[in-house]
Amino acid sequence: MSPVISVEGLGIEFYRARRRRLSVREMVFHRKNSAPKETFWALRDISFDIRPGEAVGLVGGNGGGKSTLLKMIAGVLIPDEGSVTVRDGVAPLIELTGGFVGELSARDNIYLTAGLHGVSKEQIEERFEGIVDFAGPQVRAGLDTPFRHFSSGMKVRLAFAVVTTLDEPIILVDEVLAVGDKAFREKCYRRMESLLGDGRTLFLVSHSEGDLKRFSTRGLYLKSGRLTMDGPLEDVLDQYNADQVDASK
Amino acid sequence: MRLITRTQAVLSKRSVLWTLVVRDLRVRYSRSVLGYVWTILDPLLMSLIYFIVFVYIVHRTDLGHQPYFLFLVSGLLPWQWFSGVVTESSRAMIQEARLIRSTNLPREIWVARVVVSKGIEYLLSLPVLVFFTLLYLLKGDAHLNGWLVLLPLGIVMQFVFLIGLGLILAPVTALVTDMQRVIRILLRMLFYVTPVLYASRMVPKPYDVITWLNPMTGVLEMMRAGLFNHDHLPIQWAAIGVGLVVTVFTLFVGFAVFARLERPVLKEI
Repeated sequence: MSPVISVEGLGIEFYRARRRRLSVREMVFHRKNSAPKETFWALRDISFDIRPGEAVGLVGGNGGGKSTLLKMIAGVLIPDEGSVTVRDGVAPLIELTGGFVGELSARDNIYLTAGLHGVSKEQIEERFEGIVDFAGPQVRAGLDTPFRHFSSGMKVRLAFAVVTTLDEPIILVDEVLAVGDKAFREKCYRRMESLLGDGRTLFLVSHSEGDLKRFSTRGLYLKSGRLTMDGPLEDVLDQYNADQVDASK
Repeated sequence: MRLITRTQAVLSKRSVLWTLVVRDLRVRYSRSVLGYVWTILDPLLMSLIYFIVFVYIVHRTDLGHQPYFLFLVSGLLPWQWFSGVVTESSRAMIQEARLIRSTNLPREIWVARVVVSKGIEYLLSLPVLVFFTLLYLLKGDAHLNGWLVLLPLGIVMQFVFLIGLGLILAPVTALVTDMQRVIRILLRMLFYVTPVLYASRMVPKPYDVITWLNPMTGVLEMMRAGLFNHDHLPIQWAAIGVGLVVTVFTLFVGFAVFARLERPVLKEI
């Protein structure tokens, strides 16, 4: 089977300071820009192929570039070197509540977010009940109240329910499984498993070894921006844990 | 060519664009029952105040076409669209950062969204213009004529110009932190050097040529052409021609600037 995601020689460079803080004031009065020009490669020389139906876990310490890689696959960051080719639709579970507007009711928000991901109105209507059921009775009771009155847990539950009903064959998950209470987490897990059962491709970023083991079979180990290991998840986790023990000494 | 491929990319996502526009309008109008009133109240009150200042205090009745109040309304409504887009698009990328970070849409859509939703607000405010035109027609002061066909063309030209301008402003303001403040000042200055309160013919030569470089001068000429009599102030065709060229130029520059800055902006937000 031809790969559904191909990453080739991927690299992205960032400024060391989080913000470049260009400012008109400085440009005019100091005739230069004091923003730090120092850069670093958050990711470099990353290459791999993912076949349809694979479940991949991204492993790595903080600042290893996991989220950055996920964002480039999602197409919300553009690489400076190399290329990412994604041959199918993507449902990104990144910044879940990003599309929601506090002023609008939960009902409107469901239509809005699903619409942003390209779901037609009829399709949303079809899935509406399913989404609300999944999000739970509290959300159902508050369907017509403004979204900003929701508790943070309810917000994430609703967002998770909407994004996981998208029919996309590739699912990207960034640390969002650890949401809601225990009961809801179980529900999320079951939803994820049923999605995987449908033969979807999963790309998971998590610090939780349990989540990684539960959902993924293949592991990619990112260490300071390099792909240091690509293999069965168990082996990758062993290597990662060994490195962590070294680092904490 | 980038302009064509990117436009196609945005158009292929027009249902998403529409969703965003509807969201903008809903947010604007759900916040208060006065939503629509706010849209038309601002230009109306400003027209009234300028009318009082220039006609009753300064005693100038020759600044623009007659009736002067209609002249003011016909200028302030499109100006509100213009200034709304300039202010909003300079916030567009930062305000929507969370959405931009989580959905893979052609990024030009965030600019198109602002121009379209402000444009719809402008169209919704047109009944005010119709109302005052009818009122002055009944009084026998208005001079509707065939050049009214230029009004929709003026709307199209303003739309294209705003897309180009927004594509420049949105990424630049996302990268330069204090740009928004600079733009606010420039916008206020621009208001007075654009023939909104006075007719383009009132600008003394040779400085009138400078105002032609601002496509809004041409746009306003087109929008006003059909509403007034041109015995004293003939239509400024040169302003329309120059404005058209600058508009197309801005559109090309806009797409080029946006393409160049898209990458750093995505890293920044």
